[in-house]
Amino acid sequence: MRYKKIITDFFILMSLTTNISFIVSPNPYELVITVAANLAATILKIGEGRVLSTEMLASSLVADLHLIPALFIFFLGDTVEAVGLAQGALAANIISVIISIIETVLSAFTEEEE
Amino acid sequence: MAKRKLKYRIKRRLKKKREPKLIEIYERRFIEALREIRIPLLMLHTALTVGTLGYMILSGGDFINSFYMTVITIGTIGYGEVVAGSETLYGRIFTSFLSLMGIGIFTTSVTVIVRIFFKEDIIKLYKAIKMLREIENLEGHYIICGYDKTSAWLAQSLKKRKIPFVVVEARQSALKYIQEHRIKYFILEEPHRRSTLLSAGIKKARGMVVNLGDDATNIAVIVTARLMRPSKEDFYIFSFASTDGTAEKMEELGANKALVPNKLLATRLAAYILHTSSAFISDLFDRIAFGEESDIDILEIKVTPGSPLVGKRLRDIDLRKTLKVTVIAIRKEDGTLNVTVTGETPIEEGDTLIVFGEPKNLTRAQRILLENPDKVVV
Repeated sequence: MRYKKIITDFFILMSLTTNISFIVSPNPYELVITVAANLAATILKIGEGRVLSTEMLASSLVADLHLIPALFIFFLGDTVEAVGLAQGALAANIISVIISIIETVLSAFTEEEE
Repeated sequence: MAKRKLKYRIKRRLKKKREPKLIEIYERRFIEALREIRIPLLMLHTALTVGTLGYMILSGGDFINSFYMTVITIGTIGYGEVVAGSETLYGRIFTSFLSLMGIGIFTTSVTVIVRIFFKEDIIKLYKAIKMLREIENLEGHYIICGYDKTSAWLAQSLKKRKIPFVVVEARQSALKYIQEHRIKYFILEEPHRRSTLLSAGIKKARGMVVNLGDDATNIAVIVTARLMRPSKEDFYIFSFASTDGTAEKMEELGANKALVPNKLLATRLAAYILHTSSAFISDLFDRIAFGEESDIDILEIKVTPGSPLVGKRLRDIDLRKTLKVTVIAIRKEDGTLNVTVTGETPIEEGDTLIVFGEPKNLTRAQRILLENPDKVVV
C-alpha cells in the first residue's frame, strides 16, 4: 500500500469536496479546512520531479492563491467575492484531481509492464 | 498489432536506457534536496491549522484573531489572550496543549527549513544548473579537460583573446583554484563520461584540450570525444602525452595533435641557446606565434576552391596596399612551404596564404578574403 499516495490524494480530494460544500453553503470552518487541506496537498507535492506532479503542484498553487485571499475577504465581510474566488479555486482543484487520476492510471500501466 | 506493440516496447526500452543529461541529474538532485522541507513545513502547517481551528471554535468563528493567537502562541511571542474564549477554562487548557506541541514544532521547523535553504549543497546545485544552462548556449568554444597550472595559463590566454571555454575537472580540490582564477564556465565531473562532454557542449564546440596528467585517462577522453565528433577538421583535439610513442598513439586514436610538454620546453630552450646572438628575433617569432606580441600577428588564410583569387599573382591583389598586410609565405596543398614569395607568385587552389600584419588589419583581411575576395582583385 502506498501511504504517501493515500495521504496526498486524501488532501486533494478533501480540498475539492470541502470547497464544493463551502460554495454551496458558505461556512467559515469549511473555508479554513479547504485552505488547510489545499496547503497540505501543495506541500506534499513539493520535490516531486515527474512532469504530472509538477503540473499538479502548479494547479494546487493556483488554488492556494485563490483560497487564501478568499479566506481574508470572507472574514472581512464580503461573502459573495469569497465564494467567487472559491469557485475559481474549484476549477484548479478539479484539474488537480484529473491529473491525479491520470497519474494513477499511468503508474498502474507501468506496474503491469514491469 | 503485435508488431506495433513490440516496436512500442523497444522504443520504451531505448528511451529508458538513454543516458540522462548532467543538467537533468543536477535538477533531480536539486528537487530531492527541496523535498526535505516537506516534513517541517507540514508539521508547521498542522500546528497552525489545529491552533486556528481550535480558537475559531472557542471564539465562534473569528478566523483572523484565531490565526493571530496561534501565531503568537507557537511563535513564543505571547501578547496575551487576544481572542474571545481563550480566557475561559477550555481556552486555557487548549492554549497549554497548543504551546507544548506548537513551540517545539515551530522552532524545529524553522531551524530545519533555514538550514536546508542555506545548506551549501542547494546553493551549489542551483549555481551549477544555472551555469549548465549558460553552457548550452555556447557555440564555437573550447573544452579544457583537467585544470592544473598549464590549463590555468591556457585559460588566461583564451580569456585574453576572448575565446569562450569550459573547464571540465573531476577533482573537487581544483574548485578553489577555478574560483580563484575566475573561470566563468566549469563542470566538476569525470571528463571521460559522455554525459559530461555533452553538457560541456561538445556538439557545438570548436575543439578540446585534454590535460588530465595521466596518459590512460587522456586516451579515454580523446576516444570518447572523437566518437562523438568524428571529423578532425570540424573538431580539434589537442592533448598532452608523456612520451613520443604515446603521443603517436593519441594522434592515431583521434587527437589532432598530442604534445610532449618536456620535449616542447626543451626545443624552445635549445632554440634560445642556438640563437643567443639573435635572441631578439627568435624571441619575437616565439612571441608572435604564441600570441604574446600584441602589435603584430600571423594568420593563415585558406584559398577556397572557386575563389576569384585562384590564378591571380600576388601583385594583382597587392594586399600590402589594399589591406595593409603582407603575404610572407604560401603553404601548398601538399604541405610544402614557399617562403620566397614575390609579386609574380601565382595563387593556386588549396593554397594557404600566411599573412603578417597588425591584428586589426589581419582580422579585416581574413573577413574580406573569405567573404568578399572580389574587392581585392584588381
